[in-house]
Amino acid sequence: MPSPSDTPDALARFPREVRDAFALVRSDQAPAALRLIIEAALRDYLPSASPFSKNAPILDEHRLIEDLGFDSLAIAETVFFFEDIFQVRIDNQDILALHTVGELHAYVARRLREQNKTA
Amino acid sequence: MPASIHRPVITGLGFITPIGNDRAAVTDSLREGRHGLSRVEWVGNPDLPVKLAGTIKEFSVEATHPRDWTWPAAYPIPRETLRGLAPHGVFALCAATQALADAALTPDDIAGDPYTGLFCASAGSARLLHHHLGQLDAARGERGNPMGVVSSIAGTLNFNLGAHFHIHGAVCGFVSACASSSHALGYAMDEIRLGRLQRIIVVGAEEHNAETLLPFSSMRALATTDDPALASCPFDGRRSGFVGAGGATALVIESAELATRRQARIYAELAGWGQSSDGYSIAISHPEGAGLRLAIQRALADACVSPAQIDYVNAHATSTPIGDRAEALALRAVFADTHAAPFISSTKGLTGHPLSAAGAMEAAFCALAIDGGFTPGNAHLRQPDPTCDGLRLPVDSLDTAPAIALNNSSGFGGSNVCHVLRRFTP
Repeated sequence: MPSPSDTPDALARFPREVRDAFALVRSDQAPAALRLIIEAALRDYLPSASPFSKNAPILDEHRLIEDLGFDSLAIAETVFFFEDIFQVRIDNQDILALHTVGELHAYVARRLREQNKTA
Repeated sequence: MPASIHRPVITGLGFITPIGNDRAAVTDSLREGRHGLSRVEWVGNPDLPVKLAGTIKEFSVEATHPRDWTWPAAYPIPRETLRGLAPHGVFALCAATQALADAALTPDDIAGDPYTGLFCASAGSARLLHHHLGQLDAARGERGNPMGVVSSIAGTLNFNLGAHFHIHGAVCGFVSACASSSHALGYAMDEIRLGRLQRIIVVGAEEHNAETLLPFSSMRALATTDDPALASCPFDGRRSGFVGAGGATALVIESAELATRRQARIYAELAGWGQSSDGYSIAISHPEGAGLRLAIQRALADACVSPAQIDYVNAHATSTPIGDRAEALALRAVFADTHAAPFISSTKGLTGHPLSAAGAMEAAFCALAIDGGFTPGNAHLRQPDPTCDGLRLPVDSLDTAPAIALNNSSGFGGSNVCHVLRRFTP
């Protein structure tokens, strides 16, 4: 597992606050910071043809496909982003069960807790 | 192929090359003999014997993540396109965009048109393939970039550009090493002549990074001097190997009737092409250039022109001892032995050798020469190899335009492809 201070290359293009949030999540100091990372990733991978307004708040109940306009390729990219920065594997059947932003957040948070226990 | 009523013509050109990133810059470089070779240091090892490459300026695509790349602002690339591109895909997209604009076509003109196709050639991105496989390996196969395949394997250009431009007519890739984009152009001509398609964008592109070019050093095929004037000197007795290069060239090919109907500028007609195979060695040219000679003769026959009618030959000559000799012998057999005396030059002295992209780039150079009123020279030729006796190899460019030009290409395995281009007359 990477140390809390390691910033993955995939985060290099994100604002400082997102990279700081990653360090907090990694050190298990502020699990809530994960929400900031998830929102930043969703905005980054939001398809340009999405009907979702770029400046609108992203809510837990927003559906990835119907509300945010993600297609399967954009979801695959986003999932790999989380796999890459958190060094976890996310299986296909788990992805298929994730429909909303809240479900995605809860799932990633759970995987990180599991990872911390086994580390 | 019997004479066709559908004559393929070139109506648009796009260049992202070591000697310039647009038509005007490339023309100036060809006329003035200005090379595009730069010093390179690969894999952090200054002791490597290879010191030069034909590099692309104004682009920074060395990073492994596309979001870290920069390119000229004139070419907006949406994220959905960028995510699947390789470094040379950026070159290709910019060259194709430029060629379409040059042909006075908008993206909407070709999007969804069932008679517009796209033929591409590249070796893929060894750099991204290496990176993505390394990432997969480090994760013991458990996770990998979902864009890893489409951004790196041979065919990456067709996948990406076909989707980006919404090509509906046909999308196809060609892999025959350094003859690849010449094959793409040849088969594009046939599709037009057969009436299957009315317009085809032909693109050849490659990268100039260590992953693409350094393996050729292992073959002892690369020049090892850091003097640009000596490093790439095709047909010269001092030549020691080629200088690898990157970049992209795109050509818009249309049927003459379509081009005429929409009053497009016509650079040249693609009058014929021919191909052959040496069937001799995986990497070494036939010692007498027998395969290339046959491809030249087939191209001339297809275009219904005699050796004496050829004004200019853009040779494949890459500056390798064996390859240049074989081509010189093939050219002597076709031209000198029949008392024909076209001007012959290899523009790789200026550009280096962009592998799969060479054929399309040099066909485009021939079109520039025919349209622009000049004949490229052999910029670094000082001591012609004795095997070139009887061949007319001008050092400086000439202010005369060829009416008919021949473009040669050869690739690994002895794949030979030649095109005949001529000034268009309705």
